[in-house]
Amino acid sequence: MSSFIKRRPFSSVLLLIVLALAALAWQNRVHLAAFPGIIGALSAKEYCSCRYVMDNPAQYCLAYVKQYIPISGFFDDEANKRVTARGLGSTQTAAWQGPRQGCQLLPKADSLPQS
Amino acid sequence: MPVPALRRLSLALGLLCFIPHGFAETWPAADWAMTPAAASPAIEALETYAFPTRDDDSRKGIRTDALLVIRDGQIIYERYAGPTKASTPHLAWSVSKSILATTLGVAYGKGLFKLDDPAAKFYPPMNAHPQVKIGHLLNWASGLGWQEGYEYAPVRSSVVAMLYTHGRSDMAAFAASFDQAATPGTRFLYSSGDANVLAAALRGMVGDEAYKDYPWTALFEPLGITSAVWETDASGTFVGSSYAYLTARDLARIGLLMQRDGRWADQQVLPKAWVDFNRTPFANYQPSKETEGDAVPGGQWWLNVAVPGAAKPWPDAPDDTFAALGHWGQALYVLPAQKLVVVRYADDRDKTYSHNELLKRVEAAFAPTAQTAAEAK
Repeated sequence: MSSFIKRRPFSSVLLLIVLALAALAWQNRVHLAAFPGIIGALSAKEYCSCRYVMDNPAQYCLAYVKQYIPISGFFDDEANKRVTARGLGSTQTAAWQGPRQGCQLLPKADSLPQS
Repeated sequence: MPVPALRRLSLALGLLCFIPHGFAETWPAADWAMTPAAASPAIEALETYAFPTRDDDSRKGIRTDALLVIRDGQIIYERYAGPTKASTPHLAWSVSKSILATTLGVAYGKGLFKLDDPAAKFYPPMNAHPQVKIGHLLNWASGLGWQEGYEYAPVRSSVVAMLYTHGRSDMAAFAASFDQAATPGTRFLYSSGDANVLAAALRGMVGDEAYKDYPWTALFEPLGITSAVWETDASGTFVGSSYAYLTARDLARIGLLMQRDGRWADQQVLPKAWVDFNRTPFANYQPSKETEGDAVPGGQWWLNVAVPGAAKPWPDAPDDTFAALGHWGQALYVLPAQKLVVVRYADDRDKTYSHNELLKRVEAAFAPTAQTAAEAK
C-alpha cells in the first residue's frame, strides 16, 4: 500500500479524490436523483401560475421562469392550460386545476410535441 | 339652555355610547375608499426608491410590482409596475405562511385546537414526532432537520425538493418524514415544511369536507376578498408555505384585520389573543451572525422588536411594526400606531431591497404626524 503511494503519488491523490466524491454522491444520492427534475418542474409550474393564475402575458412569463440552466423543450397548451417543460433530460407538466386551485405539477408529464 | 333641549342633548350623547365601536372607522366594502395623498417630495423620494427604471433583461436591483398604502382603512397611495395591475392576484410566496396562520386563527377562535395540542392529533404522520405541538410549528420551532436554502444549494434544499421533486405530491408528509434534529420548541429554524404540516393539520381540525373551502369561508369571504387563489399539492393540502395569490388590495384587507387586532367591522374574526400570539417573539429565539438584520419570528409573522443580543431589525420603523414576508421581496407590513398597512409585491432577484429603507420612506410620506407637519407648513 505505502509502496504504491510512493510509486504513484499523483494517482494516489486522484484516487482518493474520486473515492471522496463517490462517497459524497452516495450520501446525497436521493437529492442527486431528484435534481434533474427541478428545472423542468420549476419552469412548468411557475410558468403555468404566471400565465393562468396571475394572467400575465406569455412573453413575460417565459422571461420570469428563466433559470441559469436553460430548458431544452417547452410547450404551452393554451386550450387546456397545460404547460410542459424539459430541462436536464427530465420533462415535467403542470396543469391549471380551477379558479381557486390554480396550477399543480402532474405525476406524469405530457410528451412534448415533435418540432 | 332650556331644560328640554339639554335633556335631548344628553339623550343624544347617551345614544352615541351605544353605537358600535366600528361605526366611526372606515372599512372597505366591495372596494376600498380612496383618498389619494397629494404629491409631495416625500412621496417622490419613496417612488425613487421603490420604482427605479426596471430592467427586465438583467433582472437586477429593486423591481417593485405593486406598492399600496392604506391609512386608517383608506387607500392613500397605489402604484403598479411591470405586468402587475390592480386586478392581478400576485404570488405571495412566503407571505402565504402568515395568511395560513390567520386562517388558523379563525379555527382557533372556534375552539378547534389549542397551541399546545400535539400536531399528531390532527395530522397522523406527525406521530413520528409526538412532542411537536401546533405552537412549535407556528414559531418555526418544530426542531425538524430542515434545510431551507433556496437557489444557492438547490441539490440539498428541502424546499426545492418539497415544491418541485420528491416532496411535491404530499408536501406535509415529506416535511414530517424529516428527522428530529432538536428538541421541539428549543430553537428557531425557518422552515417551509413546518408551514405545510400546519396546512395539513388544518384539515384534521375542520374535516375533509370543510377543508377545501375553509380559507374562503373562514377568512376571505368575511373580509370581502374575491381574488384569492390557493394552490394545493396532489394530496389536496394547501401549499401553506408558498402558493397563495391575492391582489394587493385584497392582501391589504388581511393587513387591516391585523392592524385592528383581528376585528373586521363589528365582527371579531380572530380572537385578540391570537393576534397577540402572532406578535409575540418566539421565546427561545437566539439571534446569530446569520440572522443579523432579519426580522424576529413571532407566530408565523415577523416582528420589528429588539431581543437580547440584537437591536430591532428595522431601526427606522416603529417598534410595533410587524409583517408577512416572502421570497423575491413580497411583503405585507402593518404599522398599528400609525394606522398604516403597506403591501409590496415584487420580483426582486437580488438582495438590493431593504425593508427598513422602504418603511422609512413610507413613514416620511404617509405617517399621520408627517402628513400634519407637511400640511402645517
